[in-house]
Amino acid sequence: MNAVVALHRDRPAGAAGLLVGLLGPLLLAALITGLAELVQTMTQGTISDIVLVFGINAIMVVGFQAFVGNTGIVSFGHVAFMALGAYAAGILSVPITLRAIELPALPAVLAQTELDVPLTLLLGGTAAALGALVAGIAILRLSGAAASIATLGLLVIVNNLLVQAHSITRGPQSLYGVAQSTTDGWVFGSLIVVVALSALLKWSSWGLRARAIRDDPVAAEASGVRRLPARLIPFMFSAFVTGVGGALYAQDLTAFSPDSFFVPQIVGVLVMAIIGGLGSISGALVGASAISILTEMLRRLESGVGLGPLNVQAPTGISELILGLLLIATLRWRPEGILGPLELEVDPRALFGAGSRTSARPEQPATGDVTSAPATAAERDDVRSRREP
Amino acid sequence: MILILQRILDALSVGSTYALLALGLTLVYSVMNLINFAYGMMLVWSAFIAIVLVNASLPAPFVVLGCILSSALLSVGVGRVAFQPFLTAPPVTLLITSFGVELVLQYAAIFVFGENPRILQVPAVFSEVIHAAGLRLPISELTTIVAALLVFGLLYIVLNRTRFGLQIRAAAELPDIARLMGVSPTVVLMAVFAISGAIAGLVGVLWFAQVGAVTPRSDIDPTFKAFIAIVLGGLGNVRGAIVGGLVLGALEVFLNAALPSGAIGYTDAIVFAAVIAILLFRPAGLVGVSAGL
Repeated sequence: MNAVVALHRDRPAGAAGLLVGLLGPLLLAALITGLAELVQTMTQGTISDIVLVFGINAIMVVGFQAFVGNTGIVSFGHVAFMALGAYAAGILSVPITLRAIELPALPAVLAQTELDVPLTLLLGGTAAALGALVAGIAILRLSGAAASIATLGLLVIVNNLLVQAHSITRGPQSLYGVAQSTTDGWVFGSLIVVVALSALLKWSSWGLRARAIRDDPVAAEASGVRRLPARLIPFMFSAFVTGVGGALYAQDLTAFSPDSFFVPQIVGVLVMAIIGGLGSISGALVGASAISILTEMLRRLESGVGLGPLNVQAPTGISELILGLLLIATLRWRPEGILGPLELEVDPRALFGAGSRTSARPEQPATGDVTSAPATAAERDDVRSRREP
Repeated sequence: MILILQRILDALSVGSTYALLALGLTLVYSVMNLINFAYGMMLVWSAFIAIVLVNASLPAPFVVLGCILSSALLSVGVGRVAFQPFLTAPPVTLLITSFGVELVLQYAAIFVFGENPRILQVPAVFSEVIHAAGLRLPISELTTIVAALLVFGLLYIVLNRTRFGLQIRAAAELPDIARLMGVSPTVVLMAVFAISGAIAGLVGVLWFAQVGAVTPRSDIDPTFKAFIAIVLGGLGNVRGAIVGGLVLGALEVFLNAALPSGAIGYTDAIVFAAVIAILLFRPAGLVGVSAGL
């Protein structure tokens, strides 16, 4: 009766159910990693840049989804976290001798420290998460459109600080000479870890509290869920993931300026997340893959493609136009995206015929909201039973 | 004393630009909860049209009129095609939709005008400065203040003294009842898009005449200023937009004057942080949402 692989809104109960909920997104992440490696081998590394950027984008979309999916607040400020991660990791990845020339006024701690790649990634993530803590305490008290606009404010503030902090960031000039140490291993390794953590967050009581506040703030608060912490934890986690993405991006790009992280950078991640479906991690991965393939095809069309005797060349910038139109069309006819609130789940128990979905949770069809439908009654029950004394 | 007067004048000028910007945005919000990310692109398009009209050596008043009319038309077109199908969608969906619309309008501008900055030629009188009683009165600032007063007055009369304004206010306050009373939501929506576009057309000329040049990517700055102003004043009402715009202008001018020279560069960050702080104490904005249009 039960399939091994299926799409569900909710995970089965219990520790085994948590495993089921974890395995689905992990399977997708592994599949994407495998495909990326296959592409690398087939093209003999000639498009490895594109594959790396795709992986980094996937991390960024997973990070974005962790906040927007769980809290329902659409953030335009995540690029700021990407910038924080990129600068934190980037500065410490410039070789020390070059750093002394490039940033002579750097504080001694920053001037002398050299870190391994995993530490730079953690540092990038931590810097972004700290930024999220400070900003979140203010921004997350707001709701709906006002909160979204406040996240735009965050982006402006971070951009302004990066431009002005000459001694640390070189101001508006680009920071260059960052060691190029982002590899397939780091990108897709991080992706798998990040997907696992994101699924853990989603299925934890923290995730549940955030979604309870999203779906019915009054009922959730009456049940003892506090609004600010419920939103702050996904916000910080999401910033951490985005910061890691920024750190990887910095060490792939090797040179960047504050302008590399501003409004135009919002487009990609936003479109990927919305088209995949804001409500699920699987959706984030599917959206990132689909849009990456599409934009790459459009980019090739821009530089001209021979179709038999014809040479088709699209005007420059066509990919932005298509992304814009696709975004509008998706919101109009399928606002919940490809997957909506559905999460891929893998139930190994079904292999042995013993598996049965122990959950009594009713499945509900998706409704028309971008940030996915109201919680099931069972989710709300869970909030009540798990509330703190 | 003179210095303070001068600052107040500057603040009024900057503030009235922001108030005008916010006005165009808030009107649409009041009837369909749309915070329009593509609003800045309206200004950019208006500036480009102004450049085309100036190159056709039209006299200044006709240039402005042409901008206002074409921008109103563009706004109605975009509203009809892109936004009206979303009339009942949640505000967040609308906000993201408008982000898509911004991309499309931007691409169209790049396609037609290219990426390079274009200079908006203004009549020489516009850049002159009157010196009176120790005050510096740049014509550009005076024009902005006068234009803002004219628009506020006109809008007040339309909204409060005409049958049509009554319909708009009714649709903003109680859309369902208004429809039952025979107010066509489509007509009201298109009218509001037209007014919003006309205001954007005017502000586009004023804004980019002061900035000097325009590129297809110049829309972010005005869009952000307008967003901050309407959130600060209170979403969806005219008084909120005007108060929000003026307060934002005053914040900027006085911070620029009061900050030590080392900190001037941080004005943007401080203004945004101040706005977020104000929102924490008044989440519904300074005027509040419930004040009606």
